[in-house]
This record gives sequence, C-alpha cells and structure tokens, in this order.
Amino acid sequence: MNRIVLKVLSLALAVLLAAPAAALAADALKIGTLSPLTGPYAADGNDIANGVRAAVEVVKDQGGIPGYKDIVVQAEDSICDPRQAVAAANKLINEKVPAVVGAYCSSATIPASEALAEVDIVMITPASTSEKVTERGLKYMFRTCGRDDDQSKVAIKFIKEFLKGGTVYIVDDKTTYSQGLADNLEKLANAQGVKVLGHEHVNQGDKDFSAVLTKVKAANPAVFYVSLQNSASGALMLIQAKRMGITAKILAQDAVYHPQLMEIAKDAAEGVFLTFGFIDRETPAYKTFYAKYQPKYGEPGAYSAYSYDSAMAYLMAVKAVGSTDPAKIREAMLKNKFQGASKKINYLESGDSGSNYIIQMVKGGKFTNYWNPETNKLY
Amino acid sequence: MEYFVQQLINGITLGGVYALVALGYTMVYGIIQLINFAHGEFFAAGGYMGVIMLTWLSAQGVPPTLCLALSLILTMGYCALLATAVEKVAYKPLRNSSRLSVLLSALGMSIFLQNGLMLTQGVYDKAYPTEMTQGGLHFGMVTLSYMQIIIVVVTAVLLVGLNALVFRTRIGKAMRATAQDKTMSALVGINSGRIITITFAIGAGLAAAAGIMVGLYYGSVRYDMGFVPGIKAFAAAVLGGIGNITGAMLGGFIIGMVEIMAAGYLSSEYKDVFAFIILIAVLYFMPTGIMGENVDDTRV
Repeated sequence: MNRIVLKVLSLALAVLLAAPAAALAADALKIGTLSPLTGPYAADGNDIANGVRAAVEVVKDQGGIPGYKDIVVQAEDSICDPRQAVAAANKLINEKVPAVVGAYCSSATIPASEALAEVDIVMITPASTSEKVTERGLKYMFRTCGRDDDQSKVAIKFIKEFLKGGTVYIVDDKTTYSQGLADNLEKLANAQGVKVLGHEHVNQGDKDFSAVLTKVKAANPAVFYVSLQNSASGALMLIQAKRMGITAKILAQDAVYHPQLMEIAKDAAEGVFLTFGFIDRETPAYKTFYAKYQPKYGEPGAYSAYSYDSAMAYLMAVKAVGSTDPAKIREAMLKNKFQGASKKINYLESGDSGSNYIIQMVKGGKFTNYWNPETNKLY
Repeated sequence: MEYFVQQLINGITLGGVYALVALGYTMVYGIIQLINFAHGEFFAAGGYMGVIMLTWLSAQGVPPTLCLALSLILTMGYCALLATAVEKVAYKPLRNSSRLSVLLSALGMSIFLQNGLMLTQGVYDKAYPTEMTQGGLHFGMVTLSYMQIIIVVVTAVLLVGLNALVFRTRIGKAMRATAQDKTMSALVGINSGRIITITFAIGAGLAAAAGIMVGLYYGSVRYDMGFVPGIKAFAAAVLGGIGNITGAMLGGFIIGMVEIMAAGYLSSEYKDVFAFIILIAVLYFMPTGIMGENVDDTRV
C-alpha cells in the first residue's frame, strides 16, 4: 500500500517538474526584446517591449506562424546602461532566443549587439539612431528607425531655410546618441555658415539646468538646439527655459519626442520643434497597430510603431523561410518591402532602412507634422 | 554683472534645497553617529506625497496659496511619521549593536523605500501641477521666478525655526545633551530614545519640504530622485562639519553655489567635479569640515 502511494506521489512530482518544461519546448517561437524597462528611460523602454507584444498579438490573431504552436516575447531590461545591456543580451543568448528587438540607447545597443553577433542572433533596433550602430559590418544588425546624420541634415536645413536663424546654441547630455547628434549639427552649422554661439554638455539625470540656461539667455541665439537622451529631462529643460524667459526658437530631436514631454512641461512645450520620422496615421498598417496597441498599452510612444514594425519584419521573415536560420532570415528581410505602421520598410544591405525625418511641432498638447524638408513646405 | 546676479540667484535656490536635505544627515549623525543612507528616500517620498496632496487639495477647491501651505505642512508631517516608523523598524532594535550593522540596515532601508516607491508609483516621471507657481519678476536680463522666491523664503523660515528649536527650547536642549552623551543625559532624566526618534522625524520633515519644493520648481518627480541630491547633501553635511547644524546649512549653500558657478563660468560638464574638488580640498586642510569641532574618540 505504502509503495503505491509513494509511486503515485513520485509520479505527481515528475509531472510537476516536467510540465513547465514541456509547455515551453513545444515549438514556441521566442522573440527577445532589450530596452530600458526601469530607470530614467523606462517610458521609451516599455513602449518598445509593448510594440513587440502588439505585433505578436496581431500575428497570433491572424493564425500565427505555421510550424510554431506559440510565439513568446521575452522582455529584458537594459536600463540604457552598457554593462547591463550586455548582461541582458547574455541572458537572451542563454534562453536561445533567435532574434532580439532593441535596444533603445545607442550606447547600450552597440555593446549588446557585439555579444549577440558572436552567436549570430538577429538584432533589429527600433530606436537607436547613432550612425555607428550599422557601420560596424555586423551581418545581422538591422535598423528600423532613421540615422542621426540624416536627422542633423534636416535640422540644419530647417534652421537655415525655414527659421532663417543665423545663430544656434547647442546643449547635449553626453551619450553616444545625444552628443553624436549634437556634434553632427555643430559641424553642419559651421560648414553652412550658421554661427554656433556655444555647445554645452550637461550630465544625464541633471534636474537643474538654470546655470546653462542663463548662458543660453545671455548668448541670445536665434535657435536653441536641445539634444537630450530623454523626454523627461527635455521637459524639465523646457519648463526652466520658459521660466527664465528664453525667447529663442527651440528645436529638439527624436529622443525628446514622447507624449510625456507635454504631460510634464504642459504649456512650456507649446511651439517646440522636433525632428522625427514622418508617421502616416492613415495607413491600414498604422490602424491595425493602433487598434491593437492603444486599448492595452495606452497611447503609442515615440518608438512603439517602430518596434512593432521591427517585430513584424522578423515574424514575416520567419513565416517566409519556415525556420529561424539567420542567413535565410537576413535574405528574406532584405527582400521584403512592406508598408509598416511607422513607414515604408525596406532594409538595405547595411541593415539600415532609410530615414524620413521631418519637422514636427507641439501644438495644443499634441505632436503635429509641421514642415517637409523635401518640399520646403508646411503640412 | 547681470549674468553674475542671475547665477547667484540660481545658486542660492539650489543651495537652499541641498541645505534642507543636508540638515537631516547632520542631525542624525550628530545624535547617534549614523549616516542615514535612507535620508534621500524621505526627500523622494516627500516629492510624491506633495504631488498627491496638491492634486487632491486643489480638486477640493482649496485656493492655491492655502493649498501650497497645507500640502507643505501635511507632507512634512507624513514624512516625519514615515521616518518614525523606519526608525522603529530598522534602527531602534540595533541601538546597542555595532555601528556597522545600523549602517547596513540604513542601506537596506534605502533600497526598500526606493523600490517601494517604484512599485507603488510607477517608473515614469510624475508631473507636478505647476500652474500655480508660473511666472516671476524681471529686472532687465535677470529673472527671479516666484518659485525661487518661495524656495528661498521657505528654506529661510525652516532654517530659522530649526535653529530656534535646537538652541532655544527644552527639546533642543535635550537633543544637544543626547548628542553629547547618551548615557549621561539618560541619567539626568532625558528620554534619549524619544529624543532620537524626534530628531529623525524633524530631519525627514525638512527633507520632505525640500522634496515638494524640488517637485514644484522642476515640474516633476521620479522614484529615484533621492539618490543624487542625497549624495550632494551628504557631501554638503560633511563639508560643513558633520554633526553641526549651522555647518550643514553653510555646506549646502556652498555646494549649490559652486555647482552653479562652475557650470556658469566653466562648463556644466564639470560642475559635479568642482563641487567635489571643493569638498576634498576643504577636508584636506580641515578634516572635520568648516564648522566641525574636534571630537575625541571617547565621545563618539
């Protein structure tokens, strides 16, 4: 009698131990995300993870991918810190994830991508705009957003041709991305005869910008260029700039682009210009994305649509080749041209997918398309 | 000249915030020789409680000025209670153990409180209602915002009040006695346990005041906002001579001023470097800080 009880119990235990493993092993397609889920960049980081989740849900609704019973998203936290990003990348490697969407900060994406490249894991960044990301010859590195050299060209064109500003004051916060972009702009400004009155660096996480803003005010530039890594610090800078009575036109960039900017800065954000990719909210792809994303995760952030498209591009490639073999996936991704939620996606040999920066403006607490650099016209 | 005056105003504002936070460090250190690592978290908790109070009170239709004053008082009260609870849980049971254990307990409390804030309030920045404090006075190029006036006035009132409390009242006398010699003061009938708790509560109340003003001034709060100002304020307390109240005020203003002037006249990239160079230089020539007294080992 005792023996039977023992057998039953050990069987139960065996089932218990085997059950979770079996549930996972049954041909689930894993897709990893790498983005700052905590810390100062958590808003953008969660947008990225949620964009991937929305894409997976849409694909599942459409019947999933043949050959895979399920698609699982594994979201890891990079905190926008190079060391943490590498640790998170290693975790995803251990989990045998074939593809990663991320990361957010270029300074985290670059070291993480080197770890992932060693084991041929496909990495698609929805948000890292630093040129360096795709200029290191990594075969499986893709980028869905634009590039900073293109972004700074649009910025300088706007300053020169539309604002007709002869002087600019630049402030950045010293990350690979924010300083890289600011340096690009400074070079272009010098080359094109726009006078740079000053280029200051603040620290990440600073709250008090009064000293540097006093400098800006004293210099009295036509345009104040704000290149910060984060919309929350951008908001703090706008509030303090307004309070100090800075009248220069303010131009910011894609990392400051987030609904959080208006939430915190409120009317101090009104009339601020930003360089950001053109998003056509009328395409069916955007509408599908929005219908899935908004009810569950709230209003899309800056990079939600880009992250959604990154995951979509990968899932479409898996569907096309029927496996996760990286070489075949790369081929399929290069071949596949489609209208995504963020833009028309067309990956090039380099891994880039082209830039479509325009000038947006904050108007009535919302980002609106403002100026088209191609045609030099207002929207 | 106008540029200098503007930077001076900026420096005094920032210095006032550091001074308020630094006082908590120095008071607690003065009385039980503990570096209270959790102190920055009271500052953050104050910031959050402030936004909750302000939003709630203005929704009840309380007029703005009263709303600000009430939120300030309620928030300070809340953080004083929070500090009392923290003291009871994390420090009181260790009153007679080694100073290292209390230090570790403080560190643990800091992590606990910060993560608690993150889990209950979320990882995003929380916006402050800034409408009531917009605008300011303009003198030529110099801008003095209303918020800067509020910060300086509130800081001054609290500093004068604290000085009066410590040097003019019976509780203050008991605090000074406990700081000098816990056993001896207990022998003459001072309830030193209670005095220590009160000291914690006052320190946290001041940090909470700084938290709510920082929220109003900068427009938002985040769960990890206590860390950097905590370190700066700690540096200010050490600079002024840890354990000395006047020293902490002075240290706060010096650190704030050096930071702003370094950013204004050199580069904002190096403002923290200069703040800490001053700290190191002062400690090199005056190891006990500017106002610190020579404490011989038998008293510590």
